[in-house]
Amino acid sequence: MSLFWLRVAVLLYGIAALAVLPAALYDRPRWRHVAVPATIAAVFFHFVSLSETLNLAHRGLPPVLEIASHETQTLLSLLLALAFLLVFWRYKTVSLGVFLLPICFLLCLVPAFHPGQEISPFPLLLHSRWILLHILLLLAAYAALFLSLIASLFYLIQERRLKQKHPTLPWLPPLETTDQIATRSLLFGLPCMTAGLLIGSLVAQVTVGASYFRDPKILLAFAMWIAYVAMIYIRRSAGLRGRRAVFLSGFAFLVVLAVWAANQFSAVHRFTAP
Amino acid sequence: MSSTPSNKPATLILLGINHNTAPVELRERLAIPTERLADATRSLLHQPGIREGIILSTCNRVELLTLQDESPEEAPATAEANKASLLRFLHEYFAVPPNDIQPHLYEFREREAVRHLFRVASSLDSMVVGEPQILGQVKESYTIAREVGAVQSNLESLLQRTFTVAKKVRSETQIGSSSVSIASVAVDLARKIFGSLSGKTVLLVGAGKMSELAARHLIQQGASTILVANRTPARAERLAAEFAGPTVHTEAISLADLYTQAPRADIVITSTGAPQKIFDRSHGQQFLHARRNRPMFFIDIAVPRDVDPRMNEVEGCFVYDIDDLQQVAAANLADRSREAQAAETIVSREVDKYHERLQSRDAVPAIKALQQQAEAVREAELARSAKRLAGLTPDQLAAVEALTRSLTAKLLHPQLTALRESARSKESEE
Repeated sequence: MSLFWLRVAVLLYGIAALAVLPAALYDRPRWRHVAVPATIAAVFFHFVSLSETLNLAHRGLPPVLEIASHETQTLLSLLLALAFLLVFWRYKTVSLGVFLLPICFLLCLVPAFHPGQEISPFPLLLHSRWILLHILLLLAAYAALFLSLIASLFYLIQERRLKQKHPTLPWLPPLETTDQIATRSLLFGLPCMTAGLLIGSLVAQVTVGASYFRDPKILLAFAMWIAYVAMIYIRRSAGLRGRRAVFLSGFAFLVVLAVWAANQFSAVHRFTAP
Repeated sequence: MSSTPSNKPATLILLGINHNTAPVELRERLAIPTERLADATRSLLHQPGIREGIILSTCNRVELLTLQDESPEEAPATAEANKASLLRFLHEYFAVPPNDIQPHLYEFREREAVRHLFRVASSLDSMVVGEPQILGQVKESYTIAREVGAVQSNLESLLQRTFTVAKKVRSETQIGSSSVSIASVAVDLARKIFGSLSGKTVLLVGAGKMSELAARHLIQQGASTILVANRTPARAERLAAEFAGPTVHTEAISLADLYTQAPRADIVITSTGAPQKIFDRSHGQQFLHARRNRPMFFIDIAVPRDVDPRMNEVEGCFVYDIDDLQQVAAANLADRSREAQAAETIVSREVDKYHERLQSRDAVPAIKALQQQAEAVREAELARSAKRLAGLTPDQLAAVEALTRSLTAKLLHPQLTALRESARSKESEE
């Protein structure tokens, strides 16, 4: 049943991703009335699907819990959709949906229609709830970073157009709005990333022991945290905007991607979520 | 508009001059100030043959929209007489010789008059296509004409339709969405940078009509602090006092303090007559540093320019001079003319719809008469057979009643349809 609700959610993400194009690019309010409710409904059904999955896992064969890469993937899309709704509620702009909603759709597409193909069972002896929280928090931090990167890109494009006296793109939010979205989402991501890494470390300490911290992926994860903190510090202290802010966000994003990809080199952390 | 509730034929005539047909010298002679509009409308209504009328008078047009008596037998003669009475009104009311007016006049009748009115109210006939004031002016003329009793059912329904069409054009096209004046372009750009302008600080360096206008636009959009710097402190004080309001804080600052106060401003409008630049690139860097890189928008209306264009290279500084603003305005104007084509389509569709509705309304009296006649025949026939039907039970009587009703309705149906159709085709032939 959880798969059925996920498919419903994917369909709704698809509708929202299509409707947001005329809503944002051509400023057609009617399409906005399709895109936003479709996203809300998608998030709802996605949440239902996720709850059912967790429920099933809970009733499965504890203490072994299979964490599929697909679940983390769909969870990330849920968080991105929530970020889109949050930005719409706070800043009344659907522009970010042009990027976020298709990504939500694509992230859920494979898990919904070809499930169980990439499952890499990871036996968790204990603390499965803590692991879930660890994953959720880190994914929230990734979503925040991604949102910040898109907002910074929007800022850069709009800023260039204003500087070069080209007609501005009406669908892009004002500079101050994109700057606020970029900064605030970073600030939101920091505690998530910190708590996520701390929980992961504590669980690792209990289950694997100190050797866990010599793993390249784990070391990279801490490098990622330092890069993240440095980025926020530089942005805040120097009031960094525009091109340099995009470079900085882009750099932090690359580090995160590296952490994600480091799975292959890790001996102890072999599922997609770091 | 071929008939009225009184069922006498009437014709809709629109006579006028506008910025395309008449020079300003003539337009100003015919212009009617708002306070005299009621009086003028009353005089128009007193002209022979005029049943209803509205006068639209703006700086770009004077138009008389009237519903006049029509005599189908002598159509050409009445048409001339109708026009003559309007010309006479113009001649008498404004004391302008008919020969001065006539070459500049345009005249629209019936369907074309409706189309013209829809176009005017939708701002398709305006000097600056898409400007929003014209709809308000049409509404004002309508209100005044209604007050003096010059608008009755015919013009009432036409004007109500006009307002709906104008609203539709505005909501379904982007005709009025882009700014085409320097001041509104500046405000638009400021909104692109800052989003909401509420709580923003504006610095006015020098004084000029255009910079004051821009500042007023910014205040309307929520700017809450206005700093005024001027070579003569008294002038700065006076200007600051002019801008002050319940939600606006104003300050006059001396030129000596200009560079220390400038970083407070989000938007700087310069319009001094100074021969050399007031703000150069290094000032931009200095201000941005003081503002921790929060953006700053310089609107330089002065010629020669007050702001070094190289300041635009400083990250966070946006410098627009008068030419830049004019270019944006021109580009927006071009966008508007594209949107105007979409608006024309809407207007054409609405003119068709309006006439269709009018035609079915015209057929209503004939349809009613036919139905009444049929009902009378039915009742008479039932009464004639009353004796023979006396033996029937109430249920059977009700069945007979229903049967006769259904028979007359079915027999009438083709005739009623034909009536409605012929009303429509008569119109399309016209």
